[in-house]
Amino acid sequence: MTTTCGYCGVGCRLETHVHDGRIASITPAMDGPANLGHTCLKGRFAHQFSRNRERLATPLIRDARGEAPRPATWDEAMERIVAELTRIRSAHGPNAIAGLASSRATNEDCYAMQRLMRAAIGTNNIDNCSRVCHSPTSYALRKALGLSGATGSFSDFDHADATILIGANPTEGHPVVGARIKQATLRGMKLVTIDPRRIELADYGVLHLSPRPGSNAAVMLGIAHVIERDGFVNRAFVDARTEGFDALLELLPSYAPDAVEAISGVPAEGIEEAARIYAEAANACFSWGLGVTEHKYGSEVVQLVCDVALMTGKIGRPGSALLPLRGQNNVQGSSDMGALPDTYTAYRSVEDEDVARSFEDAWGVPLSRRKGYTIPQMFDAAVAGDLRAMYIFGEDVAQTDPNTAHVVHALESLDFLVCQDIFETETTKHADVILPASSFLEKSGTFTNAERRVQLVAPAIDPPGEARTDFEIIKAVSRALGHELGWETPADAMDEIAALTPDWAGISHERLGRRGLQWPVAPDGTDAPILYERSFTRKGGRAHFAALPYKEPGDAADDEFPLILVTGRRLQHYNAGTMTRRTGNVELMDADLLEIHPDDAARLWIADGDRISVRSRVGRIELPAQVTERIEPGHVFTTFHFPETRTNLLVGASADVNTSCPEYKVVAVDVRPIGEEPAKVPALAGGA
Amino acid sequence: MRVAVDGIDVEVADGATVLDAAGAAGRWVPTLCFDERQAPFGACRACLVGVEGSAAPLPACTTPCRDGMAVATEDPAARRVATAVVELVLSELPEPPASHTELAQVADRLGVGEPRWPGEVHPKVEADTRHPYLAFRHELCISCGRCVRACDELQGTFALTATGRGFGANVAAGLDEGFRASACVSCGACADTCPTDAITEVSLLP
Amino acid sequence: MSRNLVELVRRHHALDAPTALDVLKQAVELRGELTDADRREAAARSGLPEATVHGVSTFYDDLLQPRGARHVRVCTGTACFAATGDAHVDALRSAFGIELGERSEDGSVSLAETVCLGFCHSSPAVRDGDTIDAGPDVVARVLAGTCVAAPEPAWESTLAEPVLTRPGDWSGLARVLDEGVAPEALLEEVTAAEIRGRGGAGFPAGVKWGFARASEGDEKFIVANGDEGDPGSYIDKYLMERTPERLLEGMALAAYAVGASHGFVLVRSEYPLSKPALEQAASAARSDGWLGEDIHGSGFAFDVTVVEGAGSYVVGEETALLACLQGLRGTVSARPPFPAQSGLHGMPTVVNNVETLCNVPFVAARGADAYRALSPGAATSGSKLVCFNERFARPGVYEVSFGVSTRWLCEELAGGLREGRTIKALQIGGPLGGILPAARLDTPFDFDALAAEGCMLGHGGILAFDDRTSMRDVARHLLRFGAHESCGKCFPCRIGLQRAQAMFTGDAPVERERLEQLLETLELGSLCAHGGGMPAPIRSLLKWFPDELGLA
Repeated sequence: MTTTCGYCGVGCRLETHVHDGRIASITPAMDGPANLGHTCLKGRFAHQFSRNRERLATPLIRDARGEAPRPATWDEAMERIVAELTRIRSAHGPNAIAGLASSRATNEDCYAMQRLMRAAIGTNNIDNCSRVCHSPTSYALRKALGLSGATGSFSDFDHADATILIGANPTEGHPVVGARIKQATLRGMKLVTIDPRRIELADYGVLHLSPRPGSNAAVMLGIAHVIERDGFVNRAFVDARTEGFDALLELLPSYAPDAVEAISGVPAEGIEEAARIYAEAANACFSWGLGVTEHKYGSEVVQLVCDVALMTGKIGRPGSALLPLRGQNNVQGSSDMGALPDTYTAYRSVEDEDVARSFEDAWGVPLSRRKGYTIPQMFDAAVAGDLRAMYIFGEDVAQTDPNTAHVVHALESLDFLVCQDIFETETTKHADVILPASSFLEKSGTFTNAERRVQLVAPAIDPPGEARTDFEIIKAVSRALGHELGWETPADAMDEIAALTPDWAGISHERLGRRGLQWPVAPDGTDAPILYERSFTRKGGRAHFAALPYKEPGDAADDEFPLILVTGRRLQHYNAGTMTRRTGNVELMDADLLEIHPDDAARLWIADGDRISVRSRVGRIELPAQVTERIEPGHVFTTFHFPETRTNLLVGASADVNTSCPEYKVVAVDVRPIGEEPAKVPALAGGA
Repeated sequence: MRVAVDGIDVEVADGATVLDAAGAAGRWVPTLCFDERQAPFGACRACLVGVEGSAAPLPACTTPCRDGMAVATEDPAARRVATAVVELVLSELPEPPASHTELAQVADRLGVGEPRWPGEVHPKVEADTRHPYLAFRHELCISCGRCVRACDELQGTFALTATGRGFGANVAAGLDEGFRASACVSCGACADTCPTDAITEVSLLP
Repeated sequence: MSRNLVELVRRHHALDAPTALDVLKQAVELRGELTDADRREAAARSGLPEATVHGVSTFYDDLLQPRGARHVRVCTGTACFAATGDAHVDALRSAFGIELGERSEDGSVSLAETVCLGFCHSSPAVRDGDTIDAGPDVVARVLAGTCVAAPEPAWESTLAEPVLTRPGDWSGLARVLDEGVAPEALLEEVTAAEIRGRGGAGFPAGVKWGFARASEGDEKFIVANGDEGDPGSYIDKYLMERTPERLLEGMALAAYAVGASHGFVLVRSEYPLSKPALEQAASAARSDGWLGEDIHGSGFAFDVTVVEGAGSYVVGEETALLACLQGLRGTVSARPPFPAQSGLHGMPTVVNNVETLCNVPFVAARGADAYRALSPGAATSGSKLVCFNERFARPGVYEVSFGVSTRWLCEELAGGLREGRTIKALQIGGPLGGILPAARLDTPFDFDALAAEGCMLGHGGILAFDDRTSMRDVARHLLRFGAHESCGKCFPCRIGLQRAQAMFTGDAPVERERLEQLLETLELGSLCAHGGGMPAPIRSLLKWFPDELGLA
């Protein structure tokens, strides 16, 4: 069976080999457009979780808070859900209920979920985890260019003469793309890496810049300054295809390389060289990750990235693309599907009369025009008593969202919580009903990768025990709530999506075949590997320059918290580790470690392997230290793969001003070795 | 340009190899050290074919096409040598290759029986199973180089190397420290490409 | 060669990093053996991945043989074998009580084999530390600890006017620069002179230079192949040690014609005197303005780096040589691409044999016609250096014209065999050359004439076996050498030579049909002339000495 990987946003095509109803092995598909016969240890080997004995195999009901949940039948679980949600909606209105769609689930699952929330419940309170990773990208690309997606494909790395990679570590987070970039550099592509850590690709690039966390905007403005100063602006392009350049021009004089050095710590010559490398290349790409977006002004930095590309006209042709590295396998798709509080499919506003009406006609029910809660707003509303129920599928907010204490408080404040997942998690600990769902190996549908490529997912095995596919579960819940979705299969759901979404008009499961299609897809099936070849999709067809000055991040080092913590991922595990911790990958990496520079470690009397305490303004954790020169002095780095670490206890409320994406990348911390007897339970600073 | 393979005309792009042309013509050429994801290596010599105008057979994978070339994939001398090479390869292994391996399939298709070369075989070394997913059985290695090149050209981690010289040539991870301790990122490309099961995926199922 | 590894080497070379091989050799020279710590250091300093460095450390003899406080290297080359039947090797093994490639328990002494030291005129030869001694009593001197540097016979020319055996004087380069000869014109002259490669392949140098000139690259290189590994051959040794300036001049001229900016000489480590001689000559040339920037005010810049090898015969093959120069495993690469298009650091590179380059100054100074006149009436132009092994009465290096009779060379020039012995057979051109029986001594000494006899001119070494030597032993000796030196990349050579060697080991009769099949596989299937050439001498033996081979 050929399917698409369910781990990261590369979207490797894989061949699954089944023996006796269990996955025997998974190998890469030679013709996978994104992976070309290659894959990484997660897609290739990390499938044993599918038969792990901890898999949820029956619905569970928790009769009372504080008790362990007990097995129940599907009927019983459904009854409980319907009863509670109906009661809460009557008493408090539909907006007292919120849903969270899984960015790991298929487009069809997410589309079903948002339709359930909007049509069956009657609220726009639906969001997905792109909120906490690339929502700034989505916002900024739409604002600047028109469409919320990469402007090209991974193959653009092969055609680029230069690439600027900022705030991403693809050899660990997107290994197959990281390998592809590395091969391109060895063939002569000039790579500039910008990251507080000296990532592996820095050893293959021509220039590495290490800005202070939170200063990316200054770096981008510095690059723009040099481009303008040295005559690299593509005036013909700017005049013909953009608007707003003058406003940016007024801003640039304040960002000469010396000024940028003072803000960011990046040497002025580094800014000069980065700008020159990008500007002089015939074709150049920009690629970025969560090191750009998970910041207070992440959405502004992405707009500044667009500014630099627009200034030089390096967009809309092979080798010149903007390629955000979407994290989850379907984070692009879950947002494309409108599992968002303010948009329907393809990012069309819930306030848009024509769009809302088209959905009302299709679904046969009136729909709210009022924007719903984002995830952070859901937690705030829960604590405030305005949000009473949540239906979360495929996300472990208690482990992955910032400010764990606040999240836990929010979940406990709800009257009713339904979780739909494949394993019990930190979040299901607070659920009243737990529904056993399916992994990517057990469902059919589509994922959309970081290249906007919609690819088929085909089930290799059945979900265990009484677990069901997410699609079937959501259909059943919707039906039980009184709104029949009316689809037999996920292919039917996709047909509806295509009918109601002009950018998806030509997509059907049949047409996707082995190579998928990159949206927008015209009704005749022509897809779009390159966007904006002739015009941008904003009104008037012009791209928009943003003139956004640098502003300080939401947190900063001070005497009490002198180091800056950056959180992220490692190769061997995926995010919360829900799947990878239940595979042989734990033999390769079995704990989160705090990376710390030798100078800082020496100053703090910390040796490699020592257990240390890390404290922020909102929380405290303990974990082992790893002394390494890959990170700059003044910064520390860790992951969030292991629930026992509770990394996100440390992350506070600072978030992107436009999209609420949490500022995971700038957390002021105090690090010190702990005594002989470590505390058993991590304590919270300053009370709960 | 136009090339004729066993009388079948095919159009090939500039830079195509004779092996590419044979593939386009649907004609089988035995290979052991070739992987379409890697640059041709030219080590196994099983892909020898006859080419009009050349007195000696040429290796298809590393010979560029020329316009008007005429290729004979079953040239008697070429096949004789290819078959002899495969027989030599079988003779250096301590046991016959498992039937699913590429080596066994090529040997079968060429009609190579049991090798008639008594003498030294690769010494049995304790299998390296320290890694959760990848196992190494050094005595099955035929030094085709595909694993080393996968780790180089596909993954870019360079965790593997050829070792030794002559008949003692083999492959190792890192400083011969096994996959786990080396720079290996466990992508499995080496196991995918190995034609003899010297490197295999550790399967948890029978 | 791995394109990626070559690129990594290129990048680190630009940062003046040493090659991994440089660092590993230093470690062995310092402490006598390699540890993983050495390998990691070599990786860190050279910028190469650790696994790659591990691979390099397991390829070269110099890195594999442990060294004691006293490191004795005994030559097991064909000339020393022809002299003693390897009795000298056995004598040292039993006297020291250790095997070849071993170190004594207390670390005081180690014994290693080496092929060859270039003292074939005085076989057997032994290298005790850095002193190379040779002669019939060399074993006694080694055991007594009284080794002295063995004398080397003076070389002679049979030409009216010696060309290769007199000191270089930079007159060729001087004329080209002073008269403003354009690079293309020099290239034309060299091509017209039809200088055939002297290393063995006989490929026209001018044609090779033309390919390199036409290829695109940010830089181009000239590489002199000083890895004269053929046992019995010491011609390049003489050229590098006696007239190194001529080699440098030849390289400079090649660079001028091709558009190269830098040259390398790869010198084998078995010739410890060659590198110092070349470096001294280069230093003198820089002082005199013949190397460096703006040579002789012409704007032409060129300089040379001398690099030492690490003990591998196959490194004499041009792609393996380039790999070794870059500190990688010395394995052969498929061609195309040829070095002239993509060689050192992926750039267009001319690889020429030392003797070939030494021919160039004469052509530059005197022109193609004068060069062709050096061998009047012969098919090949220019002159040739030949050398004779210890069996001959007057061994040494001689300059001769092509086309002279081989008998004349052996009986008149070299005085026949010493002690009244008779020539049983000759191996000409190295271990991959065919064997010429005494009955065919009248064959003219030239490429085609020898090829017609199943022999090759090769590098020009003439090695005689006398009546004491069994041809089966010769077969076993040659195949053992072949198998030991196989780089291990291509299957026919890697496995085939092992099987062929085994056929002649012990006393079992050799099945002729199986042997012939193996020879065909090697000849038609091998990736390079090592496996491809090994059948030639065996075929000669089958033809001329079948009764001695112990055939079934």
